[in-house]
Amino acid sequence: MNTKVPAAMLARSFTSWEKKYTQDHEWIELSSDGKTGTIGISTYAATALGDVVYVELPQIDTELGAGDALGAVESVKSASDILTPVSGKVVKVNEVLEETPATINKSPEGDGWIAQIEIADEGDMNGLMSASEYKDFTEKAEGD
Amino acid sequence: MITLNRACTRARAHRQVTTRRWLSQSRLDRLAEPVQFYISTSRDPYLNLSIEHYLLQNSAPESTILFLYVNRPSIIIGRNQNPWLEVNLALLNPVSNDTPETEPPGPGIVDLVRRRSGGGTVFHDEGNVNWTVICPPKEFTRDKHAEMVVRALRSCGIERSRVNERHDIVLDQGTRGADTELEDTHVTPYTRQAAGVRPLKVSGSAYKLTRQRALHHGTCLLASPNLHIIPDYLHSPAKPYITARGVESVSSPVGNIMLANERYIDAIRVKFAEMYPATNPIEHVEVGEDWLDLDPVRQGYEELKSRDWTFVQTPQFTISTKAEPSINLDMELTVRNGALSGGTLCRRNGEKILDLSEQLQGQRVQDVDSWSVTVSNMFEGIATAEARTLAAWLDTMLPVYGRHNSK
Repeated sequence: MNTKVPAAMLARSFTSWEKKYTQDHEWIELSSDGKTGTIGISTYAATALGDVVYVELPQIDTELGAGDALGAVESVKSASDILTPVSGKVVKVNEVLEETPATINKSPEGDGWIAQIEIADEGDMNGLMSASEYKDFTEKAEGD
Repeated sequence: MITLNRACTRARAHRQVTTRRWLSQSRLDRLAEPVQFYISTSRDPYLNLSIEHYLLQNSAPESTILFLYVNRPSIIIGRNQNPWLEVNLALLNPVSNDTPETEPPGPGIVDLVRRRSGGGTVFHDEGNVNWTVICPPKEFTRDKHAEMVVRALRSCGIERSRVNERHDIVLDQGTRGADTELEDTHVTPYTRQAAGVRPLKVSGSAYKLTRQRALHHGTCLLASPNLHIIPDYLHSPAKPYITARGVESVSSPVGNIMLANERYIDAIRVKFAEMYPATNPIEHVEVGEDWLDLDPVRQGYEELKSRDWTFVQTPQFTISTKAEPSINLDMELTVRNGALSGGTLCRRNGEKILDLSEQLQGQRVQDVDSWSVTVSNMFEGIATAEARTLAAWLDTMLPVYGRHNSK
């Protein structure tokens, strides 16, 4: 994961590029204007899934509710749903994944992003976990 | 044929005098039980997979379900596969194609079905009993229930059976060596001796993982009469010419376990009950065509039957004559969402002749009635002889399928 912060970003507020995580192991990162969110799956999820061999991306302009299936990945003969944490409209998809699905495994929280959503309800962002809260959550899940 | 035990016959007589509303209510109650066991009386692969999907979506999140079903002859491709690449489509409908009689007789009409789980292509018929286990995600591993099936097979004396590294079930070949740990479902007394001799695959696994549930289903070749021709059905003439995104099958030699359906079903019942003890001894519940009463089942059924799901769902691929020495042209077509999205016609020396006409962009391959007509429209001004050659080639590679009798 890239931890270097470009100088231009230091001027922005901290929350604009901090990732939030769901209990279903997706992450969402808001744009600086807070209007769109980039969504992907966490490193934890990518590791658990195994080698991704195919990614089903949503169609642009698809409208989704929070918790709806955004797309799906196939890995080790398993078709797994990817859910959107927020409601809204799909405005962009990561076409790199069509050609090179393994990008999700190489960089699940960077180049392996899945789709961007124009957020319909900012309230959907409440209740999501910060990176450290998510880390605690996954460690607890391992321990069970 | 899955036969009914006496308890089931009693239950069926009772159901005949009840109202449809009572049936629905008891069905809903049952979906909340912690352990559930269903057997289908239907042979319809579209229906069985739709019932399975309904169980996945509607059973209580903490419940564990076993579902067994047998399908009439059908080819089941994975969610992200390419039917033109995986299946010899020309063989599937012997009524509308002149297929020679095989000796022994072939399976007749064979359905083509795209399932919702991942993985590769398998052949189903009455000698194959499919098994499904649905459980909570935190209880799920890819091997757990394949191991259960191996324990069931071993309890019937099938000691060559084991789970392999691809989560499939195989029968080791060759001579018997020293005893191995009975509890180890990943090795048999034959495994070490079998150097160089491939095991025979008897069960293939596939999975669907949702937010709340994990589904593992697999085949089980007990006594298929069609083993000799399965390779023909699962070998597409287009394979050398297609480059596809999505998932390709991993080919394995297959074999029959040679066990009666009932013996196998009883053994699975016992091993499932050992893993998931229920307060009452686990009786199975029959499911079948009456489940089409449920809107989600009917909707799922219509979707699985639709040509769009079967063909349009195909990941992008290109098909090219480059590797075909008998054709003196390089034609390359790109098919996206099951429709022509681009194409070029070039001389062998690389000189371009034509691009795919705008008129034919978006032409669904599944809707082509005649390649002769279509090729002339694909490449405007193409020479008649060249069009004829390419059309004949496309008739073999992307055969017109099911245009006579389906929606």
